[in-house]
Amino acid sequence: MPRIAVDAMGGDLAPDEIVRGVAQASLESDIQMVLVGASDRIQALLDAGPYNPELISVRHCSAAIGMAEDPHEGLRTKKDASISVAARMVAAGEADAMVTAGNTGAAVLAAAKNFKLIRGVKKAALASVFPRQTEYPGQDPLGLLLDVGATIRCDAIELTQFAVMGSAYARRVSKVERPRVGLLNMGSEESKGGEILVEAYKRMKALPSIDFVGNVEGNDVTTGKADVIVAEGLLGNVVLKLIEGIGEVATTVATHAAQDSWRWRIGMAMLSTGISRIRDLADFRSYGGAPILGFESICIKAHGRSTAPAVKNAIKVAAKAVRDRISPEIAEAIAEIR
Amino acid sequence: MSTEEQPSAAMPPAAAPDRAAMPPAAAPDRAAITFRWDLDKTYLRTQFESLRQMVKIPFEAGSDKVHLPGVPQLIRGLRRCAKERAERPYVFFLSASPPQIGSAIRQKLEIDGVEYDGIVFKDQLRHLVRGRWRSLREHLGYKLGELLDSRRAGPAARREVLFGDDWESDPLIYSMYADILAGRLTADATDGLLRVLEVERGAIARVVRAVDALAQHSEVVLRIYINLERRTPPGRFHVFGSRLVPAFNYLQTGASLHQLGLLDDTALRAVASALVADSGYNGDRLRNSLDDLVRRGHLRPSSRTRVIRVLQRAGLSGPAPHEAMVRARLAAAFERLQARWSRSVGPVDAPAIDYEKIVREWADRGADGPSPSAS
Repeated sequence: MPRIAVDAMGGDLAPDEIVRGVAQASLESDIQMVLVGASDRIQALLDAGPYNPELISVRHCSAAIGMAEDPHEGLRTKKDASISVAARMVAAGEADAMVTAGNTGAAVLAAAKNFKLIRGVKKAALASVFPRQTEYPGQDPLGLLLDVGATIRCDAIELTQFAVMGSAYARRVSKVERPRVGLLNMGSEESKGGEILVEAYKRMKALPSIDFVGNVEGNDVTTGKADVIVAEGLLGNVVLKLIEGIGEVATTVATHAAQDSWRWRIGMAMLSTGISRIRDLADFRSYGGAPILGFESICIKAHGRSTAPAVKNAIKVAAKAVRDRISPEIAEAIAEIR
Repeated sequence: MSTEEQPSAAMPPAAAPDRAAMPPAAAPDRAAITFRWDLDKTYLRTQFESLRQMVKIPFEAGSDKVHLPGVPQLIRGLRRCAKERAERPYVFFLSASPPQIGSAIRQKLEIDGVEYDGIVFKDQLRHLVRGRWRSLREHLGYKLGELLDSRRAGPAARREVLFGDDWESDPLIYSMYADILAGRLTADATDGLLRVLEVERGAIARVVRAVDALAQHSEVVLRIYINLERRTPPGRFHVFGSRLVPAFNYLQTGASLHQLGLLDDTALRAVASALVADSGYNGDRLRNSLDDLVRRGHLRPSSRTRVIRVLQRAGLSGPAPHEAMVRARLAAAFERLQARWSRSVGPVDAPAIDYEKIVREWADRGADGPSPSAS
């Protein structure tokens, strides 16, 4: 069984929701988990709810890196920070993967500091899943977007590697035999987007190992045109947050509208199933987390506001990534294009 | 096997307390140790969550009954170890199940090789015939009365260890029993608590008579082990103090008994082996169980290290990661030093339990409340 190191102190709602998520996972799965953080606080939280102690161990550490803290400075001054300890455990073979809902920058840096990049990979990419329409029966209702924040700017080779890594991940995790890969751009034509994106387009198109469907515009992100969408970190992060915001806006608008008029209230009641489906679809909690791709070891980054169900799902994603041997799959795919 | 107690035969009719009617309690037996066990959900994996499962129970043979992993090995080990310490061990079972399933239970205990000195069943049929509906569902007064009667009539052992589960009222019943024996709960106080709990008058009278009849008080109950069959959060039992040990499996129970010196390495190994063989436990699960008990304050790090060594020698647990092993050894060494300086580590503590608060909360939840809430 995979053993997952979970950063208990990382996240807006840590350690409470993280520990509860681990407790829930211990009752629903056979995954071994190591909670990394302040052991007294962790045990007090475990004591308050049901859990299976046989699947949970605790690695005490005294420090944590705050969500708003400078990740470089945090990692430099807090050697005993939970996120670092979790990463070191994975690097030392004490755990097979790590999960954190903590500071994204610190997660990427901790992984970079402790994990080896897969041979040939220039930069790691933070992936994220997002809800989208499906174009054919059996298509995964979740798309994969990368990079969403591990990088800021990338060159064409790096974007091409992201395409290969994302395709390998989707192949293994979503069981899509030949995932369709798109490049996020400002137009569908090959010549759009500037020098780097044009070059990236050419490289991806020339790769027989991926099913490149060309450029994907903003309005196509959620249509199901591509299973994997590649972007540099700055752009990917903006798109991801925009998608997250849609769900919240839908709920807020519906609530306000219902308060304003009884006619709207009736209308909303009739549409309530649809609205809650939109909200559920855009709810990051159900997806758990997404991987930082490109390292030999697996790190799943959960949303900073993760509640217990999200943490539980992130742990399941991590265990699945270990079982499905994601890293060797990516290493093989990268070796093919070198 | 020695004598078996009659199923609830000693239950007096409903009456006002008659404090002079009870014979005096037996003199304490300094060389005896008594282990009192609940049956369903503590020894047996009885399923009575649905009507269908309940209907099946009377038709089950002994071979159909399933014990919880490690329990027979634990009881056999407790008995053998007591004898080796030149103590006279007694094992009593107390069940709220009807005597009609008694033969299947006795058959099961024989299959498991568990020797016992008495089993008490609740005569539900008699309550049914007499139309005592409340008595059918009421276990608290029944169990407390049976425990006290058994103590009075049987060997008044110097030490007792109690085993129950988190399904009904075992934590409260056992704690009250322990504190009655220790003299912390008087007959009047017990009477008041049982009234708040709306226990049947006849059962209250019986308990009060038994409390009055206690000749002397002493700290008899070493530990109360509650099998967390429902995975009730262990924090809910803090109100009962550290004398009560909520345990998720019988390795945790065994490790605590090993720490108390009531179980040796061989018996502990047998319990752990049963968990591995019957329930698919592995080294990680065993070790995590022990660590959980350490974090909850029921097992000392040095005891944990000793248990891990037992498991490792038996090939049940692989070597712990180097860093973890170093930390555990350091913690154990520090703890030994601390114990030498303070000399405060003892097997028994006397918790000050706020029964009034517990009972109020219990009564608010109704008779079926699974366990008391946290303080």
